[in-house]
Amino acid sequence: MSVRLEIETGRIAFRNPVLTASGTFGYGKEFESLTDLGALGGLVTKGISPKPRFGNSTPRICETASGMLNSIGLENVGVEGFERDKLPFLRACGTRVLVNFFGATFDEYIDCGARLDRLDGVDGLEMNVSCPNIKAGGIEFGTDPRVLRDLVRACREVIRKPLWIKLTPNTSDIVALARSCADAGADGLSIINTITGMAIDARTRKPKIATIFAGLSGPAIKPIALRMVYQVRRAGVPLPISGIGGIQDATDAIEFFLAGASTVQVGTQSFVDPDASGGIVRQLAERLTADGITDVRELIGALRVA
Amino acid sequence: MIRGAWGRDPLLPRAFSLLSAGPGSSAEILAKTVGRGTALLERALPGAELDVLGPLGNSFPESRPDTVDLLVAGGVGLPPLYMVGATSAARGEVDRLEMLYGGRRAVDLVLLREMEAMRLPLFLTTESGELGQAGLVTKALEARLDHHRGKPVRILSCGPNPMLWAVARIARDRGVPCFLSLEEQMACGIGVCLGCAIPARSRPFRYVCSNGPVFDAADVLDVSEPPAPPAVCAS
Repeated sequence: MSVRLEIETGRIAFRNPVLTASGTFGYGKEFESLTDLGALGGLVTKGISPKPRFGNSTPRICETASGMLNSIGLENVGVEGFERDKLPFLRACGTRVLVNFFGATFDEYIDCGARLDRLDGVDGLEMNVSCPNIKAGGIEFGTDPRVLRDLVRACREVIRKPLWIKLTPNTSDIVALARSCADAGADGLSIINTITGMAIDARTRKPKIATIFAGLSGPAIKPIALRMVYQVRRAGVPLPISGIGGIQDATDAIEFFLAGASTVQVGTQSFVDPDASGGIVRQLAERLTADGITDVRELIGALRVA
Repeated sequence: MIRGAWGRDPLLPRAFSLLSAGPGSSAEILAKTVGRGTALLERALPGAELDVLGPLGNSFPESRPDTVDLLVAGGVGLPPLYMVGATSAARGEVDRLEMLYGGRRAVDLVLLREMEAMRLPLFLTTESGELGQAGLVTKALEARLDHHRGKPVRILSCGPNPMLWAVARIARDRGVPCFLSLEEQMACGIGVCLGCAIPARSRPFRYVCSNGPVFDAADVLDVSEPPAPPAVCAS
């Protein structure tokens, strides 16, 4: 019995629903010799800004219980560097390529999105809205439903490629944010980005990360991510969801499909095992075959709730 | 990068220097128990399966016929220098190097018999004075630099960061080439997580995993952090 893993979602046709998450897979080439890129559903690049950026002060990462904190600072090569140095490899890597992007202002988001939209070999854009809006006192763009709607709408006007919005979990109402994206014409949602946390060294009495606050990722956040994916699905927000948060194996991926995700993104686990996403694709096919499921789409939103 | 079948916690693999490599695909590491990961490694039974990604990164520069390399090791920073020593010994070139090896106490100095068997010129120091010269390994370094004054000398060093910076300052003050094998927190080991950044002269940041772990001390000594970029994001 063959299993169908192909899925068309968020205006992109994928070979299978397993993608790699932004910030954990570089620009793809770093993994060339460690996994079969062509076997992945897709990859999401490191976040790109209009100009190159170097990152935050050190230390930037630390391990926590079943997870890790990072405050890298969105270090990246910028749009021009991406087009010149990274895109030629990605064009030929044999999988779908989504480019994650961000800006410090509305204009930077629009500029960056419009320039990436013109690039051949980019199958879609994923917008990181977890950046502080300097003009609004540093509150994240993605935490105010009206600001988010206006930002997505402004970017939508200049972006013809598929546009997914990566939501921040640092909010009290994920559904309101998801609705804003739908209202503004987005094609998909990535749920969730990292959860803000901190770690302290009791001996030195210092924060373990230079910027004090940092993004928590890994298996520790999976229950929160599942809850948010399910909330958005249950509320009937009319956008497909890419589920992200602590996915380590095919069972984790299936849990996200059941909660309502139509694709998943593997993040921190790529640090633990560079072939993690490839392994999940293989496991997924085996698991579905063993369970007598012929099409992965049967699982999407199939949570049994009394 | 090494990790056992530890489930979800601790999550990340641990970075180690190779103590020896070969024959075949075998390799040795030297581990000191400092946290949960190394504690689990210590308890691993013979035959236990470990995930290993490597070898990664660069190595110390090759020895030169006319130059004496002073290998300055602190505690568990011994492995990469031990490997340099073993390589030289195998080639019959131990006259090109001296091993300066320091620790807090005698128990912190390991593999001494093996290094004696290789006929490495050994200069030991302990802070407790139990073994070798009493004091820090930097004291022995100054003495050996005095001894070799006027001759071509390089310093290759690995150990705790305060020791490395002290070694690098001595090298800078005396105009001696110096290479440091650095250690940093890292999640991936392949230049992706960007966690193991260190400020450098050649670029705002270099990465211990992919640009190192061995750096020319002149590139990384006393470099202040670049100013934080605008619009700092959480991750």
